[in-house]
Formats: sequence, C-alpha cells, structure tokens
Amino acid sequence: MYLIGNIALILGIVISLYALIANIIGLKRKDERWLESARGGVLSLAFVASISAFLLFYILGTSQFQFQYVASYTNNELPIIYKLAAFWAGNAGSLLLWTFLLSIYTAIIVLNKKKQNKMIPYVSSILLTNILFFYIVMVLNANPFEMTDTIPLDGKGLNPMLQNPGMVLHPVTLYMGYVGLAVPFAYAIAALIMKRMDAEWIKLTRRWTLTAWLFLTLGNMIGGWWAYLELGWGGYWAWDPVENASFLPWLTVSAFLHSMMIQERKNMLKTWNLSLIILSYILTLFGTFLVRSGILTSVHSFGDSNLGSYFLIFMAFMMLFAIYVVATRYQLIKSDSKPIESYFSKESSFLLNNFILITATFAVFFGTMYPLISETITGTKVNVGAPYFNKVMAPIMLVLLLLMAICPLISWQKAVFDRFIRNTLIPLFAAIVFAIILVLMGIKGIYAIIGLTVTVFMFNVHLAEIWRGTRARQKATKEGFIKALFRLTRKNQRRYGGYIVHIGIAIIAVGVISSNAYSEEVMKTVGQGESFQVGHYELTFKELTEIEKNGNGIVTANMDVNYKGKRNGTIHPEKIFYGTWPEPSSEVAIKTNLTEDLYVVLSSWESKEKATFVIKINPFVSWIWAGGILMVIGTAIALIGGKTSAAFRIGSRQRGVRA
Amino acid sequence: MKELSRRQMIKCSLAAIASIILIDLSMNDNSVKANGKYDYNSKEFKSIINQLDMQGHADHDYSTCSIKKVYYEEVIEALNQGKSEKEILQSYVDEYGQAALRTPATEGSGLIAWIAPAFGFLLGAIIVGYGIKRLTKKKDCTDDHLDAEEMNVSETEKEIIEQTFEEERKKYF
Repeated sequence: MYLIGNIALILGIVISLYALIANIIGLKRKDERWLESARGGVLSLAFVASISAFLLFYILGTSQFQFQYVASYTNNELPIIYKLAAFWAGNAGSLLLWTFLLSIYTAIIVLNKKKQNKMIPYVSSILLTNILFFYIVMVLNANPFEMTDTIPLDGKGLNPMLQNPGMVLHPVTLYMGYVGLAVPFAYAIAALIMKRMDAEWIKLTRRWTLTAWLFLTLGNMIGGWWAYLELGWGGYWAWDPVENASFLPWLTVSAFLHSMMIQERKNMLKTWNLSLIILSYILTLFGTFLVRSGILTSVHSFGDSNLGSYFLIFMAFMMLFAIYVVATRYQLIKSDSKPIESYFSKESSFLLNNFILITATFAVFFGTMYPLISETITGTKVNVGAPYFNKVMAPIMLVLLLLMAICPLISWQKAVFDRFIRNTLIPLFAAIVFAIILVLMGIKGIYAIIGLTVTVFMFNVHLAEIWRGTRARQKATKEGFIKALFRLTRKNQRRYGGYIVHIGIAIIAVGVISSNAYSEEVMKTVGQGESFQVGHYELTFKELTEIEKNGNGIVTANMDVNYKGKRNGTIHPEKIFYGTWPEPSSEVAIKTNLTEDLYVVLSSWESKEKATFVIKINPFVSWIWAGGILMVIGTAIALIGGKTSAAFRIGSRQRGVRA
Repeated sequence: MKELSRRQMIKCSLAAIASIILIDLSMNDNSVKANGKYDYNSKEFKSIINQLDMQGHADHDYSTCSIKKVYYEEVIEALNQGKSEKEILQSYVDEYGQAALRTPATEGSGLIAWIAPAFGFLLGAIIVGYGIKRLTKKKDCTDDHLDAEEMNVSETEKEIIEQTFEEERKKYF
C-alpha cells in the first residue's frame, strides 16, 4: 500500500510534467502527435489520481494505523462514514482531494469531443500547472501515505465537531467549487494567449462557472447549517476568516455571472470579466492559503503546517502570470465593443450590481485582513469580529437587495421609464403595506423593518415578473396557467432559473435579518420538575440521565415543551464527553417550526436535580435553509437551460439583417 | 479474546475519564448567579459580553468553553460591584489592548477599518459612474424607428413573439 501510494504520487508529478511539456512542444511545433500524447498524459493522470484517492479511502476505511494520516484522524470506534470522511479532515487528504478533482475536471475537458477547439492544449497546460503544484506540495510537505514510526493500537480519532453529516458534505462541495473555478480561469488565460477576444471562452465555460458557483453556494450553506447544529453558539455565520475566504469567491463569481451576460450580448466589459474570473480563481488560492497557513486566528484553520508558504508563492506566481498576459493583450481587449445606449438600461444596472458585489468583496477582504495589516503597520493587534462585519455589510447588502428588486424591471438597451414605474407600483405598494403591518403589530427595529421591506419588494417584483410572463404566454398560446408557467420556464431557463435564485436569496434574507434582529437568549438554572417561559415556549426540566455509548459518556436532559399553551413534545439536549478527545461537546436540541427555532443547550448541572440551560429563540432560521435549497434548484434550472438567451438570438439576427 | 480484553480496557479507561470530567464539571458549577443585581440575562451584561472578544472565544459554545465562562463570571462580578459598561470594557482594553474587543476602535488607527469600506465604496462609485458615462453613447436618429418599436414591446412580450416566430419557423422551414 505504502509503495503503491507513493509511486502514484511520484507518477503524478512525472505525468503532469510530461503532459505539460508535451503540450508546450506540440503548440510550438504545431505537432498534433505531441498534443495527442499530452491528451493521453491527462487521461493517465486522472487514472493515477483516482488510484491515490481510492487507496486513501481504502486505508481509512480499513483502519490501517501504520499510516500517519489514518492514525491522526480516525480510530476503531469511528463509524465507517466518518472514517471515509476523514479523507478531507487534514491537510494531506484535502490536497489529494483537490488534485483528484482537478485531474478529473481536466480529463473531462480533454475528452469532451463536442467542445474540442484550439484552446484545449492551452487550457489543459494551465490546469496541469495547478495539478503539478498540488502533487509537488503533497510529495514535499503533506504526504497522505506517510508511515508512522510504530504502529499504534488505535488512532487519535476524528474531532467530534467534524462527526456530523454537514462535515461529510461541506468540504467536498466547497472544494468542487474552488476547483471548478480553475476551469474558467484556464479558458480565460487561454483565450488571452491565443488573442481571441470574443466571448467564446465565456460561452464554453458558462456551465463550469455556474457549477462552481452552485457548489460554492452549497458549500457555504451546508457549512452554516453544520455550525448551527454542531457548534452550540446558536449562530450559522460568524464572519470567521475562513468562512470569509469561501464567501469572497462566491461574491466575485456572482458578479461575473451577471457581467458575462453583457459581454455575450454587447461584447463589452471584456477586461472586467477577465479580471473577475482571475480574481475569483486567485481568491480560491487565497482562501486555501488562509486555511493552511494559520496566519489569522480561526476555528477552522490547520495552522500546524507550512503549507501556507507554498500557496502564497503559487498564488503570487499565478497572479503575476495572469497580470502579465492581460497587460500584454490589453490593446486587443479594449477594441471592438458596443456602447451602452442609455443610462437607464439593464446594462447599467448590471454594472451597478457588479459594483456593489465588488464593494462587498472589498469590505469582507479588508475586514478579514485588517488584523494583520494593523499588526504589521502599527504593531497593535486588533480584532475584526462579527459585529464589525454586520455593521459594514448590512447597508451594502441592503443596496444589493434593492438593485435585485429593480434590475428585472429594466430592459436591455434602453428601458422605458413609464413602464418601469407601472411595473414597480404594485410590488412596491405591497411592500409598503407589509411594512405598515409590521409597525402596527408592534415590531421594533427600524433597520430590520427597512431590510425586510426591501426584501419583500424584491420578492414581489420577481413574482410579478413570473406572473406577467406566464399571462403573456397564456394570451399568445391559450395554454393553461401551469402549462404556460412550465413552458415559459423551459423556454428561458437561464432567466427564470435566475429569478428562482433571487427568490431564494429573498427567503434567506428574511431569515438572516429576522434571526439577527429578533433573536432572544436566556440562561436558566432550574430544578427537576420546574418550568420556565421563553418567548411562546414553556419548558419543563424532567430529569438528567447519564449513559455510556461507544466509549463516550453522554449526559442528557429530558425536557417537556409547550408551545403557545399546547403540548409540543420533548427535547433532549446532551453533553458528550469523549474518551479520545479532551474537549466535551454539546448536542443541541432544536425544535423548528415555520417562524422560529427553539434552540436549547445543556450548559451545566449541580446535581441530577438541578441543571442550567442556554435557550435561544431564533426567528425564521429554517427560512435560510429553505432559501438555500431554492437557490440550488434555480441554479440547476439555469444550468440545464440554453446556452444563449432569446434576446441574444434576436440581437444576433438583427445584426445579421443589418449586415 | 486478546482483542476483546483490549477493547474492554479501553472502554473502562474511557468511562473513567468521562466520570472524572463529569465530577469536575459538576463541582465547577456555573448556574446562573441571581444573588446580585445583574445576572446572565441582564441587558447590561449582554451588551458588554457582545463586545468582548474573550481571547478569540466569543463565538464558542458557553457550556463547553472554560475561557468564556471566566469572562462571564468576571463581567457579572464587575457589574454587581457597580462598575459601568465603559469602565468594564476599558479594564479589558487596559489589560489586553484593543484586541480585547471584537471591533476596532472608532478613533485613532482603528478608524481606518471603519472608513476604508466607505472610501472603497465612494471610489468605486466614481469609477463606475465614469465608466457608465464613457460607455454610454447618445443614439443616432437613424436608428430611432427600430428602437421606438422595441421600446413599445416589453421584454416578456418580445420573448413570446420570438418564441412564436421560432416555433413557426421550425414548422415551415
């Protein structure tokens, strides 16, 4: 096993280096044989990476503690699913996962006969450079197949916090997003090297970019869900540097997904789109650098290695390379673009949307790096925590929501102001009525009310747009409402998929604003049989039990719950003491309904008859997960949908007629 | 047989560790202090605790974080001694510097952290404003008839017409 694993890693370096050189020679000599050989190299690389990945799964699953990695992250008692999930629990496994995914993505690109073109050798060369870097780092610094000096009887086990379904999915989805962004980056650089300044690279990579964005969305959502269930502090997003690192490329790719439409339609913003995709890719490396280097304090970081330096050097190299390529082709990029025809157009509104998203990126990046900047310049350590980000990001996100409400109502080229006002009136009126109802109900908090009103406005606009589209189709085709709605979506999946994503964001915004503004936290010490009231809930502490399971000591509190005077079942918050882990952890008890979550943590106890609980009422948190699911559905619809939108086809034909 | 006895040994030691921790935790009781004027549910207490970084433990689970518990007890004690929010926060800043708080100060060098995003926003707004102005061209009158026609047709209607044409085109050609 040791030999196979290490040979596979060394073969990885040799093959990726060979394929890279073969591509370069093939391109220089214009020799198809070399290019064909490089293609073969990429395929064998995917095979070798698959062997390494399978091998790591195998030694983890069969608890082969002679391997350092297996002994460090698993033990005999660990359920098989978490033994396998330990693949990405440490540095070495995470790097292998990254390499494996990148090799598979590269093989898919090289194998895809439909999309074969002259860009492929350049694209595969850029991706091979990435793969080569990961293999070198693994062999020099983080070998997953390293042996232990003596074979331990049992391993150290997996951090109990990571033993949650969320952590089985969260790192994989995030990595799939990160790795996926290498593909549009490679296409963009390839287009630049080949001096092809049209939007072809964007069309070829639209699905790759959207898929990467989908996985980034999923990764962030699942991460938030895991934090909420497992960490016991009652929140889902702490603005931790590592969380921010995965949020940054999500923001820039969101901007790119909008601005690429302008390049597709008007051949504009070429430099901007290139910069966005380069920035997104660099931010994925930056995120990995943050996680691996431990330069910033974070609950997620793997600060016990010097991998950060490798990533810093590679990030600097790729950034300088990208800047050089853009700078040397700048004159070509600038030419041949069409002007915007009116300030009041979708093009302008997309530019504003990009501006807000990049401002958000800057604010998150600056806040994340500020402790380091401050310490370097002034020598004073300063923290930038959640309250800072909440204050800075709230107005930015509010403007973004407002733009999301307005943009769908503005037409391409030149919008008509009267029609815009006419279409805005009903959604806006409904949102104002909603705000008045909130105030009349005695809801406090002016900022939260403003935020919710804008969100409702945005939600209404999208519903109204879908309604108008369906009615228009009904009028033209005499179809029933459901059929017309279905066909309308089918005919323009890109647009309506996007609308569903926006609706998902509106639902998430309701959850985020409400849970931040109106959550309630109480700490109570109660005796057995004693009841207490929190919000609409009445909780009765019944008993404290203690059991031993899988080598862990588990203390459970049993509590009866009444909601608005009616019996609502029981809850069982737990505290777990691990045999193989020094820190105990809390198993939170959550009761969810449509409008709020009851979140109970067993804090401590004096005796079996007296215990202390931390109870939180978190309004609308379930909406965040529901909105996330809707976002994924919307993205999937847009992903499956057509390559170009209807208006783009009209534009192309009009251009054809004029020509 | 040998395997079984080893497992039993491991289980016994685990149970022993768990029991020690349980006893330790129950001795270090952290029940809500209600003797003083303030307790963990007081608004004043929450306001102070939300501003403290607690040496990076602010977002940890209170029930399992020993450092967070120490901070909670210290703040309650200080409040019940009659200290104000400002005095308590200042005492932590005196001890740990600005790093005691979760946000940068709103004066001195900390101000940069607050101003920079606003500055970035303004700078971005100027650049985007200039960009839109540069990219926007007044239209020629010759193109007006086509665009006037377009202006009277909404995006959705345009799409429906396009779809109908497309279906008809497919049918006949």
